[in-house]
Formats: sequence, C-alpha cells, structure tokens
Amino acid sequence: MSHYLFIQSQDPFTETRAARQYELVGDLYDAGHDVTLLLVQNGVTPARQAARSPVFDRLLEWGVPVIADGFSLRQREMQESDLKDAVEIGDVSLAIDALLDGHKVIWN
Amino acid sequence: MSDNTLLTFAFMDPPFESERTVTFFRLLDAALEKNASVRVFAYEGAVALAFARQQQHGNAVHGRDTGEEDHPLTREWIAALQQKAEQKGLSFEWINCGLCVDERGVNEVIDGCGRGGPPDLWRYASEALNTLTIGTR
Repeated sequence: MSHYLFIQSQDPFTETRAARQYELVGDLYDAGHDVTLLLVQNGVTPARQAARSPVFDRLLEWGVPVIADGFSLRQREMQESDLKDAVEIGDVSLAIDALLDGHKVIWN
Repeated sequence: MSDNTLLTFAFMDPPFESERTVTFFRLLDAALEKNASVRVFAYEGAVALAFARQQQHGNAVHGRDTGEEDHPLTREWIAALQQKAEQKGLSFEWINCGLCVDERGVNEVIDGCGRGGPPDLWRYASEALNTLTIGTR
C-alpha cells in the first residue's frame, strides 16, 4: 500500500480534467491505497453543500478523506457550515507533513 | 543520499499572475515551520520571482499611493523566507534555470538566489527526502 496526498487546486466547473483527477484518486483508493485529497484555491468549490459534481461526491461517499484549506475557504467567504458533511478543514501544512513522511504528494 | 529534513520544490509560475504563487509560498513557509530545510528550483516564469528590480506601485483606481497600496513583491517574500530559515538554523536554497533567466532578461536577482540548470533540479531531487513539482496545469 502506498500513501498519496493529492493537492487539488483545479475545480470541476472550470477544468474538465478535474473529473479525471478525481477518478484517479478514486481508483487508487479502490485499489487499497491510503489516499487523501487536500483542496486548495478554486479546488475548494465542489465542497460547498449545493455544488453538484457527481464524481467528487462519489469520493466523499466512498470515504476518501477530503480536507479543504481554510485559507482558500476564507478567501471565498466559505464557512464550515457551507461545506458538505464529510469535508474537513485543514491547511497546506498537511502537505508538508506528507512530504516529510515520504508520501507521494501530487499537485493537480 | 537523501537528507531526511530536506524538501525540494519545483515551480514555474511567474510573479503577480496566479494564485498558485501564493500557495507555493505558503508551502515554503509551512516547510520552514515544520523545521524542514528547503531547496527551490525555479524555471520558466518563476525565475522572475527573485528579480531584484521589482518595484511597488500606487493604484489610482484604489486612490492609493505607493506606500498606501503596499503592493507585495515576491522578492521580498523570498528574502523573508531566507531570514526565517536563518533564524531557525535551516537552509534555504534557490536556483533559477539560467536559460529561462536569459530568455526573460531577469539576471539581477536578490542575494541568496543562484543560477543553474536542470542538473541542479536532478541533484536537488536526488538529495532531498521528497520533492513536490507544482505544474502550471
């Protein structure tokens, strides 16, 4: 089993490739790897409760850990109460922890 | 042989263009906060991040002069990170891709930033515990 942290800066509403990126996250998770998705910049937008992105929501349903960068949320006037239930709030230091732990950290 | 507290970052975005630049600098700061030493290989537009002749400017639309606008400059962010690393006893190295520098004419860089090429990225990545590449897309 490998450990992956995806830093997801792209969002599914302006970048069609984001759907493929989510699929890769899901495939790795489904294959038994430890996978975390860290949302930054516009990558936080599908975490909003009313946002409709089936492929993103599927990751939440499967239990993939999804963490939204608090700084990116504040820039967009998004509060914790605006987020889908399974999304937690963190910050980019999680990416540093993962790098220092030798995990595979991938920027999308 | 890798250093277990050394992280390498490769970055290609120019200053004053993208939100990625802010996130990139936040990651560098977070690395120093975690007591990791940092090496940066800047290429393409990112070589201008350390350009010594960056200047603040006023903003007539905002009705502010230069001092009031206090426009952030990436060369100052780099200098602040260099200072933070020194205070914490960590190393902070920065190499610009020389070909990318020449193309853009941004040869004058702040102290502590050097000039190199792809072999330096290879060396940085080989010697670091881990490497993060932040692509433009």
